[in-house]
Amino acid sequence: MGANLRLVVLLALRNVAAHRVKSAIVGSILFFGTFLVVSGRALIQSIEHAMETSITSSLAGHLQVYAKDAKDPLALFGGGGFGSSDIGEIPDAGANLAPIAALDNVKAIVPMGITNATVFSGNELDGVLSELRDAVGRGDTVAREAGAARVRAIVDSLGKGLLATASQATDRARAEEDRAALTRVMEPAFWEEFNADPLPALDFLDARVAPLAADGRLLYLRTIGTDLQRFGQSFDRFYMVDGEPIPPGKRGYLFSKRTYERIVKNKVARELDAVREEVREKGKTIAGETLLKERVARMARQFQRVTFQLSPEEARTLETRLATELGETGPLDTLVQRFLTVDDANLERRYAFFYDVIAPMIQLYDVPVGSVVTLRAFTKSGFVRSINVKVYGTYEFKGLEESDLSSASNLTDMITFRELYGKMTAEQKEELAAIAASVGVADVSRDDAEAALFGGGTAEVAVPEPSPASPTEEVRATLAANGAPDGVAATDALIASAGPRIDERTYSEDEIRSGLALNAAIILEDPARLDETRAAIEARIAQDGLNLQVVNWQQAAGLLGQFILVIRAVLTVAIAIIFLVAMVIINNSMVMATMDRVGEIGTMRAIGAHRRWVVGVFLLETLLLGVIAGGAGAAAGVGLVQWLGHHGLPAASDALVVLFAGPRLYPAWAATDVLFGLVVVTLVGLASTLYPAVLASRIQPVVAMQGKE
Amino acid sequence: MSAIVTLSGVIKEYPLGNLVVRALHGVDLTIERGEFTVIAGPSGSGKTTLLNLVGCVDVPTQGSVVVDGQATERLDDRKLTELRLRRIGFIFQSFNLVNVLDVRQNVEFPLLLQGGLTHGERTARVDAIIDSVGLSNYRHHRPNELSGGQRQRVAIARALVTRPAIVLADEPTANLDSVTGDTIIQLMKDLNASHQTTFIFSTHDHRVMEQARRIVRIADGRIASSEAPVEAHA
Repeated sequence: MGANLRLVVLLALRNVAAHRVKSAIVGSILFFGTFLVVSGRALIQSIEHAMETSITSSLAGHLQVYAKDAKDPLALFGGGGFGSSDIGEIPDAGANLAPIAALDNVKAIVPMGITNATVFSGNELDGVLSELRDAVGRGDTVAREAGAARVRAIVDSLGKGLLATASQATDRARAEEDRAALTRVMEPAFWEEFNADPLPALDFLDARVAPLAADGRLLYLRTIGTDLQRFGQSFDRFYMVDGEPIPPGKRGYLFSKRTYERIVKNKVARELDAVREEVREKGKTIAGETLLKERVARMARQFQRVTFQLSPEEARTLETRLATELGETGPLDTLVQRFLTVDDANLERRYAFFYDVIAPMIQLYDVPVGSVVTLRAFTKSGFVRSINVKVYGTYEFKGLEESDLSSASNLTDMITFRELYGKMTAEQKEELAAIAASVGVADVSRDDAEAALFGGGTAEVAVPEPSPASPTEEVRATLAANGAPDGVAATDALIASAGPRIDERTYSEDEIRSGLALNAAIILEDPARLDETRAAIEARIAQDGLNLQVVNWQQAAGLLGQFILVIRAVLTVAIAIIFLVAMVIINNSMVMATMDRVGEIGTMRAIGAHRRWVVGVFLLETLLLGVIAGGAGAAAGVGLVQWLGHHGLPAASDALVVLFAGPRLYPAWAATDVLFGLVVVTLVGLASTLYPAVLASRIQPVVAMQGKE
Repeated sequence: MSAIVTLSGVIKEYPLGNLVVRALHGVDLTIERGEFTVIAGPSGSGKTTLLNLVGCVDVPTQGSVVVDGQATERLDDRKLTELRLRRIGFIFQSFNLVNVLDVRQNVEFPLLLQGGLTHGERTARVDAIIDSVGLSNYRHHRPNELSGGQRQRVAIARALVTRPAIVLADEPTANLDSVTGDTIIQLMKDLNASHQTTFIFSTHDHRVMEQARRIVRIADGRIASSEAPVEAHA
């Protein structure tokens, strides 16, 4: 048997060598087949791994639970519209999630709530004016002088531009009013008034002049409220980039670093970053790309985003430095515009200059770390809620800094989330009750408000808002209700001088954990046992009758999670089609080869070779070719993946950036890819040889007697 | 002596397009063990058909062919193959060597198909038979490096290496010049004498016929004459 096998192998080898054309055709098909399968599979696995990492290590965890009666499926990274999905509620996250946390293989469970908050980033003049108001409020004369000087500088620059264009305005009456307002504040008399009584002057500036400066922006911030302590411990890639972590139990806001850089940053700096990225990462040139050239021109026109922020002293410094840098003199506005009109040769130098010299003089981010930001959100009941929270810093996930997925969300504490979402804390309910009591109104529930208001005889009724207003509004309400003597104007002044009020309370772990959550991330000890643990969780949910459902990270990621399945399906179908064609070609050339070998096979049959022996020789030939050509193809595939793993595969489109979890994918291959490729190709080869082999085995020994060779 | 091949009432028909061609019209023939028999006849007389039936590569349409005690018409493909492998050696008109194998491997081939021998036994047998056909110096040559006569010697060695009961040779000298042909026939006669192997040839070469001990003449699918064995006149 062993000797027979040796003969078959020898015959097969010799035949492979002897039938060169057939071997070359079949061999190259098997080569490319294996190459495709090995490299394609390695790439898909790498993409999947990159996506899995960027999804599971950032927000999703391995599994997610949310309310069973949710109207929409959970989509952590956004599903359809803006904040429109209703994923239900987990009323008491602490009690509801505890049974799951106790299960085997569950490392941690992190309650979350997704909301979309907006933040208005005022224009440059707004910022300077609010600082000036602060200075006036504090009675800080030095800061007040400096602030006033900056306002005058901005107004001066703004005025010149606007007065020049006013004659072309379509709305003449409006233009005339704007011109009058600007002319007024450019007069020294206005600033004498300011010195005598700053507040009316400030109001005028706020109301009439600030809107004339470039528009401020509404930032849409996808925000996830979570138990920040547990979040930080559970997602081990989490780290702070700027600022400091939110202290335990405190309320606060953390921007994702990428959001901070791409949305919150000063417009000119952002544009400069983007231009540099296009040139450095994507290898474009400003001279060669019209779009990029236009972008640079647009950036230069935004120069006021820099100049408006400068104090007169800074303006003078910058003017001197820019004059030296550019080798020309002129007004600051012109110099800054010239400076920002970068080209391929000076881009790097100007980029460095911008960050070394200009950035320290301006507020580089519209919402600086350490400042208080006013978050606004539409609550469940449909009205707008504003909350002031401190921005503690920016965060990032290690290794996923470039992933748009991982950095899609900003973080806040659970308490702030609940308020934004529209849920009142026990304390707020008490406070509301106290306010209601202090003004002596009867409490009327929403349901019977109509009857109480129109049916009954009670004179004074108050319909409680489902939630109190923001702290500032509360102050106003309380003061008004208590009959503050000077009325609303005085209240405004008080608020302005006091600055935005924030909730400094430290919340207990119990308060954070026991309240409402929308969903929770489950992190596993061993991710390989995901399906098993998921089943255990489902069993537990059924057993305890909890209103929960559990999904894996892919489902939790919404559409994005399905994307990888689509790619995988496309690749599978493509490979299947290629192999189908390959099978036909292999089959054909093997049948042709069989025709050539009728005499030889007939002789072997006459001498005493059995049919299955003939089939065996044919299959073995293909198997050998499969091992040789397939091995070479697998080696080439591994080589390509290895090379890409070293140099990185650039993401050609934004969609790919998401998939690759960064601008480049560094794929890796595994032994299973090679094994899979070889097995698939060998099976395809054998399947396509089966018919020719059977055909060959049917050759009658009689043909050997028919002579001609 | 006992009969090694017995044909009785053998009819063989072939489909040819829509027609059925009858190649053998009721043949009765007995061949004894150790005979050196020539089947002679013109082209199309049915001698190759007869040889195919005796060689178990074909079965009769009617009648019975008994080879080494087995009625071939009752055997399936597997059993026929076994019979060919164990009991019959073939020598073909155009040698039919396996081109990708060298002389040794070609000769060893049927032994490997049979299995059962150790490497040493095989080597000894293959080397001995190659010696006896006078190709000791060509063991590692490929068939295309050999002359026609040398190739036919390899074929003879391959046919005899399994020590078959019958060796069938279909026009073994047709593709050889007369001198080489004579040598080959002489070699087969020697082997017939030394191994007591039954040799059955088909030929229309008169010089070959002269060497035979018995000549079976066939014409139009019937036995025309069947001369009794002529005792050693060579």
